[in-house]
Amino acid sequence: MLVFLWLVVPGPWPITGGLAPRVFAHYFWGVESTLYRPAPDQPLAFSHVTHAGALEINCAFCHRTVEKEETASVPAVEQCIFCHKIISGTGDAAVAEVQKLRDAFQEEKPLNWVRVHRLPDHVQFVHEPHIRFFAQQDPAAPLEATCATCHGDVKTMTKVKQVRSLKMGDCVNCHKDYNAPTDCAACHY
Amino acid sequence: MGVTRRRFLTMAGVSAMGAVIFGGCRVPDREVLIQSPARLPEDLVTGIDNWYASTCHQCPAGCGILVRVMEGRAKKIEGNPDHPLNHDPVLHMSKTCARGQAGVQLLYHPDRIQGPMRRDRATGELLPISWEEARAELVGRLRELRDRGASDTVLVVTEPLRGHLGLLAREFVKAYGGQHMAFEALEETVLREAVKRVFDQDRLPDLDLANAEYVISFGSGFLETWLSPVRYGVAYGHLRQGREAKRGYFVQVEPRLSATGANADDWVYVKPGMEGLLALSMAYVIVSQGLGDQEASRLLTRGQGAQYLAAYRPQDVAGAIGTTPEKIEELALDFAAKRPSLAIGGGSAAAHTNGLFNLTAIYSLNYLVGSVGQRGGILFNPAPPVAGLPVAEGRVPFDRWQELTGRLASGKPRPVNLVVFRGANPVHSLPQALGFADALKNVPFIVSFSTMMDETAAMADLILPEHTYLEDWGDDLPEPGPGYEVVSYQQPVVRPFHNTHSFGDELIMVAKELGGSLAQAMPWNSFKEVLQAGARKLFELNRGSVTAPDFDSFWRGVLQRGGWWDTARRGLARPLPKPLPVREDPQFTAGEYHLLPFASISLTEGRGAALPWLQATPDPMTTAVWQTWAEISLEDARKLGVSEGDFLEITSSNGTSLEAPAYPNPAAPPGIIAMPLGQGHSSLGRYAENRGVNTFMLLQPATEKETKALAWAATRVTVRNTGRRSRISKFEGSVRVEALHEVEIVRVTKG
Repeated sequence: MLVFLWLVVPGPWPITGGLAPRVFAHYFWGVESTLYRPAPDQPLAFSHVTHAGALEINCAFCHRTVEKEETASVPAVEQCIFCHKIISGTGDAAVAEVQKLRDAFQEEKPLNWVRVHRLPDHVQFVHEPHIRFFAQQDPAAPLEATCATCHGDVKTMTKVKQVRSLKMGDCVNCHKDYNAPTDCAACHY
Repeated sequence: MGVTRRRFLTMAGVSAMGAVIFGGCRVPDREVLIQSPARLPEDLVTGIDNWYASTCHQCPAGCGILVRVMEGRAKKIEGNPDHPLNHDPVLHMSKTCARGQAGVQLLYHPDRIQGPMRRDRATGELLPISWEEARAELVGRLRELRDRGASDTVLVVTEPLRGHLGLLAREFVKAYGGQHMAFEALEETVLREAVKRVFDQDRLPDLDLANAEYVISFGSGFLETWLSPVRYGVAYGHLRQGREAKRGYFVQVEPRLSATGANADDWVYVKPGMEGLLALSMAYVIVSQGLGDQEASRLLTRGQGAQYLAAYRPQDVAGAIGTTPEKIEELALDFAAKRPSLAIGGGSAAAHTNGLFNLTAIYSLNYLVGSVGQRGGILFNPAPPVAGLPVAEGRVPFDRWQELTGRLASGKPRPVNLVVFRGANPVHSLPQALGFADALKNVPFIVSFSTMMDETAAMADLILPEHTYLEDWGDDLPEPGPGYEVVSYQQPVVRPFHNTHSFGDELIMVAKELGGSLAQAMPWNSFKEVLQAGARKLFELNRGSVTAPDFDSFWRGVLQRGGWWDTARRGLARPLPKPLPVREDPQFTAGEYHLLPFASISLTEGRGAALPWLQATPDPMTTAVWQTWAEISLEDARKLGVSEGDFLEITSSNGTSLEAPAYPNPAAPPGIIAMPLGQGHSSLGRYAENRGVNTFMLLQPATEKETKALAWAATRVTVRNTGRRSRISKFEGSVRVEALHEVEIVRVTKG
């Protein structure tokens, strides 16, 4: 009976197995990688390899509010059009994707991205102080190095994937390493 | 393990249940959605709000507002603490009314017209079209009519327009050769004419309630919807509590206890239409006892003194007025003694066949106590700072609508081939007996610029939805103003949510496409350009609240402040008193009961009915919401055998009839049925449709004798108990008083 349930009941994320194997994996072996959702498909095949990697565009150019606000924010379609009204992309696949973008702008349709990094509702995470802190640690370091602390080497990812568990233990370990506050109310407020 | 039937069913059941339970653990898709807006809002900073100054357009007062905008969405409307019309000069705060607050619901209304549409008259079907097609159609028809020499058969119907939009409409109509008529359901024609006759003024005056000692108001619901209620509300607060050890006294004279009357120290009943006679009788008392200003008394009575007013001795006219001689004397003596005192009139006092007589008599009283042009009295407004800027473009009295209906119905003397409606809903707000809606069907082509599908838009062939006032440019000259020069500015605080255009822009585009003299008369590219050209004239005056070294800084300055004003430029007129008018009595049709319609404090005459916040705003007197009711006296209710919620069939003297639940009110005088206006929409979005009844339908198309304005309080009705009943939804009585433990119950016993 249990075996049956184990196998058939779908878990929170569509990965192999039911809920139970993942709960075991998480609590007993601390295997975190199995818990992360694989890189989801996005409405546009936007490539960080091209933009952040080859073109070396600063993270904050598109994620405009990351140094100022709670959220990093995804750019408005219009911001993409700043460049893509001129740049149509190289290769058929890229041209097709850019066309999708231009169509969205023309029709004033928003793009619905699938969120990759998500924290539960009872956690407050504010980007601004984290960026400020790491920038003070090493003022010479580029912004992308700071972002990479949690988001990994995004410029090598064709599809963005979560690389850290971003669970409470993960946050607390890092807060301890850097002498950051670990009171409950630091995040749960 | 053998799978028995029983075991198989158990396993199937358990796994299905598990799937349901754990399926619910999945994070819903909307939680992992992160949206890129199409446009990059220049002001988008997550979590940080922007406040834009603009002008309210929910009623004709024209208060200054601040709109809180977050992430490109308007969230909240507050008063602009800088704006001269609705600010509190002492507390440095600002106010808005419920109607102003509800502006955001207009912006986000689910039934807003989302883009231009063309109606197939045969099937009544609406088909979406593009703005280019729609404009081409309108331009084609206008061009064809002009080429045929029939440009005078084109009619533009708007609300009374002020500021540059009025100027634009005037230019357009003049250059094209059409006609412009502004529709105002509860028109102020009579008040304007009275102000002109009594004070020689073209603009309505400001009422200095804040500094008065004694205020007597005849029928004007200045704490409800009359003229500029937010300004009056603030001033009223100062009248009562703004001064140390001094509380202004306030008397309301009217035939129905209104919310304004409920705030008064003394509420005086007067028979409908007899307000002017009461004013004359008060004048008699003041003049005969020598309590009035000598010069004013002489001029008001043609030098004859009390002799001129001998016919109005309180003991002779009190019966006709519906009060006692002692009351009249008391009012007159108080009015003369407690200076500065102020007499104002409007609302139902103006809406009788003798409305002009009523108002001239009432406003003339101010001369007797020296309150004209004085602190605590009537203060005048100066002419607009830029010459030629209209304050009420196209306003016409009711008889012109009667005339138009005849012209529409008969096609004589000239037919009407095209009507453009903007911001006016005459199909709802003209008396049904007039037959306007039926006559309008004879017009071959009707264009509507309405944001919502109102009754008039529902008859249109071409629907060109305009922006709401939160998405559009504009300016306004508040009427009545605050006693000095003011120009308010309205700016778009959000990007347009739907495929809508600005009415001003469209007029300019149509003129351009029509070409010729019309294009020359309107050389601008957009309405914003017109506004800026106008603002440049203010900039060149180099005085007032905003001055700047260059025009760009000036323009930013006025947008930031919400407008431009110059407190040094006041209306300084010192008019001379004219002889008091001679008694005129109101005329009514036959009918047992007098019908007193009143503007709903939230829906006004119907424009607010589309907004659920306003529908749910309780009427202050009955606490009723979302419906139309009929206030009736306890005596009449007993006579008809009705109690609260019993449906009355109310039949007008012209035969139209409708049904509304009775609300027996201990404060209602016998013989009077009072009904709110604003409901009974056959079309105005989901929150307004088929709700309550349209009180306008009952009105007799009677006019005020001289100004020809609609005498909307001059209708008589008969009333019958239908025997049906339904509960009136209201707050009052929804919790029994005994259940409110903090309320001490006081029993009132006789003797």
